Amino acid sequence: MNKRWVSYIIAFFIIISLNFAIPRLLPGDPVSAIYGEDVMVKLSEDVKEYINSAYNIDKPVISQYFLYLASLFKGNLGYSLYYKQSVGKLLMSYMPFTLLLMGLAVIISSFFAFILGIESGWRRGKKIDLFLLYSIIISSGFPSFFIAALFLIFFGITLGALPMQGARTAYSGFTGFGITSDFLKHLVLPLSSLIFILIPPGYFLTRNAMLSNIKEPYILLARAKGLSDSKIRYGHAGRNSLIPFVTQTGMRMGTIIVTGSLFIEMVFSYPGMGSLIYNSILNRDYPVLQGSLLIVTFLVLIINFFMDILYVKIDPRIKYAH
Amino acid sequence: MLKVKNLRTSYGKNEILKGLDFEVSKEDIVAVIGESGTGKTTLALAIMGLLRYQQDNVKISGEIVFNGIDLSRLKEDELKKIRWSKISIVFQNVDNILNPVIPVFKQIKEILNSNDGTSIINDMLEKMDFPVSRAYAYPYQLSMGEKQKVMLAMAYILNPEFVILDEPTSALDFESKNNLIKIIKELSSQKAVLLATHDLDTAQNISNKTVVLYGGNIIESGSTKDVFTNPRHPYTRGLIRSYPSETRTKDLQGIKGNPGFTDNGCCFWPRCTQAIQICKEEKPLLTESNGRKIACHRYGIIPLVSVSRIKKTYENRSILKSISFDVYEGETLTILGRSGSGKTTLAKIIMGLIKPDDGEICLENMKVTCWDSAFYKKVQMIFQDTRAALSHRLNILESVTEPLLIQKCKSNEEMVDAAKQVLSEVGLPGSDDFLYSYPHHLSGGELQRVVIARALILSPRVLIADEPTSALDPSIQAKVLKLLNQIQEQRGLGMLFITHDLGVARKVSDRVMEINNGILKEKILR
Repeated sequence: MNKRWVSYIIAFFIIISLNFAIPRLLPGDPVSAIYGEDVMVKLSEDVKEYINSAYNIDKPVISQYFLYLASLFKGNLGYSLYYKQSVGKLLMSYMPFTLLLMGLAVIISSFFAFILGIESGWRRGKKIDLFLLYSIIISSGFPSFFIAALFLIFFGITLGALPMQGARTAYSGFTGFGITSDFLKHLVLPLSSLIFILIPPGYFLTRNAMLSNIKEPYILLARAKGLSDSKIRYGHAGRNSLIPFVTQTGMRMGTIIVTGSLFIEMVFSYPGMGSLIYNSILNRDYPVLQGSLLIVTFLVLIINFFMDILYVKIDPRIKYAH
Repeated sequence: MLKVKNLRTSYGKNEILKGLDFEVSKEDIVAVIGESGTGKTTLALAIMGLLRYQQDNVKISGEIVFNGIDLSRLKEDELKKIRWSKISIVFQNVDNILNPVIPVFKQIKEILNSNDGTSIINDMLEKMDFPVSRAYAYPYQLSMGEKQKVMLAMAYILNPEFVILDEPTSALDFESKNNLIKIIKELSSQKAVLLATHDLDTAQNISNKTVVLYGGNIIESGSTKDVFTNPRHPYTRGLIRSYPSETRTKDLQGIKGNPGFTDNGCCFWPRCTQAIQICKEEKPLLTESNGRKIACHRYGIIPLVSVSRIKKTYENRSILKSISFDVYEGETLTILGRSGSGKTTLAKIIMGLIKPDDGEICLENMKVTCWDSAFYKKVQMIFQDTRAALSHRLNILESVTEPLLIQKCKSNEEMVDAAKQVLSEVGLPGSDDFLYSYPHHLSGGELQRVVIARALILSPRVLIADEPTSALDPSIQAKVLKLLNQIQEQRGLGMLFITHDLGVARKVSDRVMEINNGILKEKILR
């Protein structure tokens, strides 16, 4: 366990060092690399001063690095000229939406992917398995923004049942329970389309794992023991299928957060990290982009760390192998 | 308790069990022995009703009657009630037979329906001599022997009436094996047990009845003691001969050919050294005699030479006093005795070179009345003094082919080919240089092999070897003995081996008899 701590810390330092190095390795001075060529001409004196002091341009690289680290640990991620706000504060306001959306989507989709995968694999070749398999294969062929758009058109426009954009109704004047229900209504479409997108990979993997696990000798033993079908299915075959499933989910976390949120939040104009990243790319708002990516990487690191702990719990052989 | 009647199973077109009939009653431990792939595990799974999970397209016919219920007709739900509570199984200890991510204690506990089984499990583990503190370990943390103990604990924990043990001791070291055998014996009293194994030691130690399986057929069955001490089917004997038991002194011999089961005739005939025409055409039935069942058209291993009540007196000195014995197909009987005890006289009497005063000799159950060429085609002898046994006027080719010439059964070219073949069998060159050399050109070891080649060229059924290695140095002697052993394995040669050397006798014999003052007695070598 100690070793793993160390490797995470090393990874973290490599990431922030890269974050520090990239603007400085670009041609020209880092400030123009970050804010654009003509930034020094256009800006007012006090902003210039702020930028200079923030980046410590005049000091040697080594002390720039340590000052950068120090300010990073104070929560200072830079300043967005576009939003006219510090990047830290900006992220704090966008982050919770993404965490909520992603967290719920990952939990709910994992649950369904796993259960469907187990049931489908157990009934290999039967009607229900083939139905699930083919419908999920077909649905997984659509790109995520397409599915999001389909949901938007069908539920938002055709049925008109759910709000189509944002996280809450502006100027609605809702209070108490009204705020919560309005918030949840806005969450339904992005969340359900995200779940829809996240199910196939987990489902395929679990189904495959089931197919090979039900041929394992311990399943024959479980059958000989006269255990109930559901006990064999979940307690033995499913239990072992959980191992690759958790690995895969852990490895996909980064992709899920960045690309998942990017497309879905854009389509539904949901005010999360995806929208923030998208806008900062459009506006060449590098400080925000840099800050968001740093936070996302940090998030992925943390998730991986917990996945590692979880992994030892579900597959005790891992611990033994160290 | 369990009665299997005409049990046949097949996967698609591939028939695995071809009509098994046997019975396991209470307090019986029945060992099912046979090579890998003969259907032992299939039988175990068929009884448990698990075959359908192992393969697709499984077909089962016949009956598996357990306490009056035909298990092969039961539905899955009904089988579930019988599985483990009435019939349990210890599977072969393969990788992943225990769920790798669940502690073994939990895997035992899930069998018990009650919530509180801890004390029962601990008691059982203690009986197994399994440290209770290790009960929460995962399977990968346990040794093979410990895993085996866990599986046994599982199998016996519900106190079932019938237990199937599939290779319970394979992959275990000697000490843990003996330990487990003791535990199994203890737990199995008052139960019926079916033990499927290729470990003959375990079978012999645990079981009281033995069923020998070959190619999905029962070819021999009977009490374990009988089957092991006096196997009657050539396959059973081959199996026992291939197994390095603690007391075995003879070099290991296998069974010729490879397991490839045929459906025409007897399943064993391609590998059987005593197969005759009917064996290739008709499947033998399992018939009972003297408490033994055997499926063989020849009623088991046949006696090739039977000697009864042979007497011989030289000048008032009684050399042989009523000597009787049999030499069976594919076996080596050694006659041990001091010089001058009458060993060679006995050999010469069998060969018809000396007339006995009394007694008779039978060849393949027919009394020998005249020693004609038909007799010598089947019985050949290797003489003690090799130089005297070869004419110095004949070259090697002439010496080796002389028996063929006498039998007039081959053309000249065929004779040369046969000579070359048999010489290569004994490890001699077939070059012209060698064929046309004379005995005085060759060393003692080479001459001995020429003599053996000459004895083998007619493919005799019986070989009488009178001190065939006494003139040889140890390394050549080892080669010659190995050669004879190998030829016996391939051809099922019955050998009467005459020697005064105890060490040699130990290495070559299936049985040893000692001749002393004209009387022949069975001798056990350890």
